[in-house]
Amino acid sequence: MNQLWGSMDQYHQIAWHWEIAVYLFLAGLSAGAAISAVVVKKISHHSESNGLVKAGAVIAPIAIAAGLLLLIFDLTRPLNFWRLLVHYNFTSVMSVGVLALFIYFPLTLLLFAATFHEKFSSGMFACFKPIAGLAKSLGKVIDALVLLFGVIIGAYTGFLLSAMNSHSLLNTPVLPILFLASGLSSGICANIIVGMVWFHQDLNINEVASLDHTDKIIIYIELLLLFALFVGMFYQGQEAAATAAQALTHSAWAGVFWIGAVGVGLLLPLVLNFAFSSSFKSSPSKFIMFNATLVILGVLSLRFYILYAGQMFS
Amino acid sequence: MAKKYAMIHDNNLCIGCQACSIACRAENKIPNEVYRIQVWIQGPNQHADGSLNYDFHRQSCVHCENPPCVKVCPTKASYINQDGIVLIDKKKCVGCLYCVEACPYKARYVDPVTQAPDKCTFCYESRLSRGEQPACVTVCPTDALIFGDLNNPSDKISQVISRKITYQQKEHLGTRPKMFIVPNTQGGKIR
Repeated sequence: MNQLWGSMDQYHQIAWHWEIAVYLFLAGLSAGAAISAVVVKKISHHSESNGLVKAGAVIAPIAIAAGLLLLIFDLTRPLNFWRLLVHYNFTSVMSVGVLALFIYFPLTLLLFAATFHEKFSSGMFACFKPIAGLAKSLGKVIDALVLLFGVIIGAYTGFLLSAMNSHSLLNTPVLPILFLASGLSSGICANIIVGMVWFHQDLNINEVASLDHTDKIIIYIELLLLFALFVGMFYQGQEAAATAAQALTHSAWAGVFWIGAVGVGLLLPLVLNFAFSSSFKSSPSKFIMFNATLVILGVLSLRFYILYAGQMFS
Repeated sequence: MAKKYAMIHDNNLCIGCQACSIACRAENKIPNEVYRIQVWIQGPNQHADGSLNYDFHRQSCVHCENPPCVKVCPTKASYINQDGIVLIDKKKCVGCLYCVEACPYKARYVDPVTQAPDKCTFCYESRLSRGEQPACVTVCPTDALIFGDLNNPSDKISQVISRKITYQQKEHLGTRPKMFIVPNTQGGKIR
């Protein structure tokens, strides 16, 4: 406190911390896992006995539940959180997001119940049998709704930040699309990893390879979106251009962006794919799993970078 | 008729003495580590003719007519009242801090006692309801602050606004602040 007018600490505080970054990551991953599971179910021959579908049906509800818990504990008045469910404000992306989550979370549980319906026929979870049976019979409707709300949840995490015109790194129309794309990418990779570890007997390695290939296409799209985001900020002039320059060069967060999000998450998987894919044919599954892990770490880095750099540099 | 409370901060009259800040702290019992208002002294700026001057920035809520904090609040805990003052209903607040991040003026802080966001209220709940002016306006030794109702043409603030050149901070964001600033003309510098 060197200046006459007092401590300026409150003007440098960051309101949203790691819990929110992890929430944004988990919500995107959940949506991506659910979307890719439904798509694989539609195009594959074995439909719901497919390991990738099972992986998505497990990941989607767990990831979103974990994310929502983090979200509640990050509130400064967590015991008041129920008011979010009672009072609504339709100009607030957060409030609209609460409504969307209200629909999306039960949908992921129904997707799980429909996929594993035979597990509910007996044993300790037999009490859920009627629900699982209903979910199974409504399978097509649930799939369509999961697809729709998966896209809504994936994009909403971006709109949540882009709605604030106080921060020019966040206040861009590219952000929701970037978050949807990277969420889809992380969801695909999570499905591949969980599918290979837990459901490998139900996996067709050709389907895994084609999903991995789809993920590579999304990575190219993400690179284009990141390029468009920063070039767009430079074209906006003065304030936004200065913020973009700072965000790309200043503080440890620039390192998280270049090394974590771009290097590990986007470029390394592409380079490894070009360099080694043929020589790894003997054990393609391990190679694909390693690549998938890199992609997930990159998406997590991107969420941290956007949230922290977005708040720091206005 | 509803009131439209607004304030003028005259950069030519302000001397950066912080009396407004201290009066605010005393009147509103602000915890030690946070501030509803500060006056940032920027300068000295040197001009072509060799003269020097200071700029004074009043850092506080500007009471937007189109407030981003109210728009983003998920529970409507942040609201704009019938007299145009932006307030917080702490009972409804969950502490998501969306308003703190969405404010382009960095006007909000988290109250260390209630853990809810807080900010300048133009002394609405205390002095204004007793028919008095906000604390900062009352104590200003140079009368650099003028407070009043823009809907009342005979109010002093309406007369000063029609006479003096003023601007509002970050007008391009469309927030329509009701904090009007008379730019500094000392040193021949007009913004």
